[in-house]
Amino acid sequence: MAQTQPIQSQAQQRIQRARVGDQVAHIVFFLCAILIVAVIIGVFVFVGIQGFRLFGEDPHASNFLTSTNWDPDGASGTPSYGTLGFILGSVVTTLIAIVIVTPLAFGMALFMTEITPKWLGNILRPLLEVFTGMPSVVIGFLALVILVPFISKVVGPLTPNPATAGVGWGTATLVLIIMILPTVISISIDAVRAVPDSVREASLALGSTRWQMMRNAVIPAATTGLATAVVFGIARAIGEALAVSMVLKGTSLPANVFTPLAFFQPNVNLTQPIVLYFSDASGTTRDAYFMLGFLLLIISFLFVCVSRYLASRSVYK
Amino acid sequence: MSAQQQSLAQLAAHDEDKRRLALLERVVQRLHTNNSVALAILWTLAGIVTIVFLSVIILLLVQGIPYLVRPDFYSPNGEGSIGSQLFNTFYILILSEIILVPISLAAAIYLVEYARPGRFVTFVHFSAETLAGVPSLVLGLFGFLAFGSRLGLGFGTSRLTGALTLLCFNFPLALRLFEDALTAVPRDFREGGLALGSTKWRMVRTVVLPSALPGIVTAIILSSGRIIGEAAALIFTMGTTNPANVFTLNPFISSDNLTIRIWYVQTLGSGVVPPEAANAVSAGAAALLIVILLAINFASRGVARFIQRRITAA
Repeated sequence: MAQTQPIQSQAQQRIQRARVGDQVAHIVFFLCAILIVAVIIGVFVFVGIQGFRLFGEDPHASNFLTSTNWDPDGASGTPSYGTLGFILGSVVTTLIAIVIVTPLAFGMALFMTEITPKWLGNILRPLLEVFTGMPSVVIGFLALVILVPFISKVVGPLTPNPATAGVGWGTATLVLIIMILPTVISISIDAVRAVPDSVREASLALGSTRWQMMRNAVIPAATTGLATAVVFGIARAIGEALAVSMVLKGTSLPANVFTPLAFFQPNVNLTQPIVLYFSDASGTTRDAYFMLGFLLLIISFLFVCVSRYLASRSVYK
Repeated sequence: MSAQQQSLAQLAAHDEDKRRLALLERVVQRLHTNNSVALAILWTLAGIVTIVFLSVIILLLVQGIPYLVRPDFYSPNGEGSIGSQLFNTFYILILSEIILVPISLAAAIYLVEYARPGRFVTFVHFSAETLAGVPSLVLGLFGFLAFGSRLGLGFGTSRLTGALTLLCFNFPLALRLFEDALTAVPRDFREGGLALGSTKWRMVRTVVLPSALPGIVTAIILSSGRIIGEAAALIFTMGTTNPANVFTLNPFISSDNLTIRIWYVQTLGSGVVPPEAANAVSAGAAALLIVILLAINFASRGVARFIQRRITAA
């Protein structure tokens, strides 16, 4: 009796310690999970507040969304903060890139899930994975060395300024295509693979050919997933910065922006001015770049919401 | 008479059958042609994509290998060499993994093991997805404000600021991969641990984490690939130039890395660095990055399989 008492209390102590340890672990884990929420709120709050200071500091900033003249330092008299040119650049390059990427990516996704022989799949999948993680500067550099000289040789004679014909929206679009293609392909593959085999079997049992099976059964069943892939690709393309900044080389929209020549002249988009000029900026000018960043943040947030909405409507996940 | 009529009717029916058969055959023919055309188009698309991917890799290697084989390319000083950038890349890789792995693993453990499925988990997942969609350039701006400037933690442009920004950049991906690794552990393992009377934390530590190890290691390797390749989030937070001596473990100095260097010599520094050196640096560094990423990709397959075998054999 006298011996069991200390043993019992010892055991109780151990249990107590284990319980406290469990509690502490629980709280630490909880804090880490909360951290990701804190980070995303922090991103919006920090960048947003710093950006909106611009409008208090300089009344000229009211033309932020209505003008194409970006001149925060006031090099030509009064400062001007028009971002329309940047927005136009991002919209044009992104739209063309996604129009070209979509059929390529869907075709590749169908090929890799429905057609490819096993040995080929074993080669293509790692290739795709390596490309999904491709650093954007590497693509930008390759475009500078290969694409820019090539394009200026081919298109140069047709443009007013052959020396700079290789840079601009045209090359930027090609860079964007290579940058977002792997991402869109791998999300499309997930979408197609999520369609259960019973759908395919049902279609084949009705006597469909393989193409009919893909067109009438698989693609309709995967529609929302494929749409998610495209929307995600758009968000990626708009946020893509370094590679594009290496091949745009412009400071403002060219004069003849509504002709095809605009693609072969130094040009601008939303990310390029931040990348190139943020480090040297200070004061109101720096806040203008923060506001530009906030605009980028809002645009990509909208696309995330759209893709999330689409994903929530998909039948097969 | 009636027999003649019958045979006539039979003949007509026969003709009808024949016509229908021919029609059906034509339909089938058309479907098969469509099928072949569609498959041919898919093969062509896949071929185009594959050729583009392969040619990018081959072009990068062809451009860079001549520099990679020269030993003085790796010397720490000089404009045409990348010794210090290579060191910085691995330094920032290790520093940010040290910060990233415990935090995101803990968050994943909370979401998988502790939290009840419901609104909170959905909310965290929504936050993670939103964060994954934020352009890395904007994360760089955020890191500059939150970790670098006096508004927040005030580390200036330094390696630590860069590593903290990379935490924000990689958190969503690491969280998802770790969650996948944990949910792959069968339920009965957990129940077995709990039935023996261990607390939840002890059960997670002794049962779930060891079984999830292959997935965890794969996640770490995949996130390291992203850290090595990232630059946009780092140019405002870690800096674009090096101090005199980068070979220290001091996290409070600003430095660049391979990707930042490629970008810097081609844009901002194009007037400072002579063009031959700039091209040498970017071609060599790009090829080196490709080699590292290929190695990481193969490692992530091999290591996971190796650990799996060790665990199941032991």
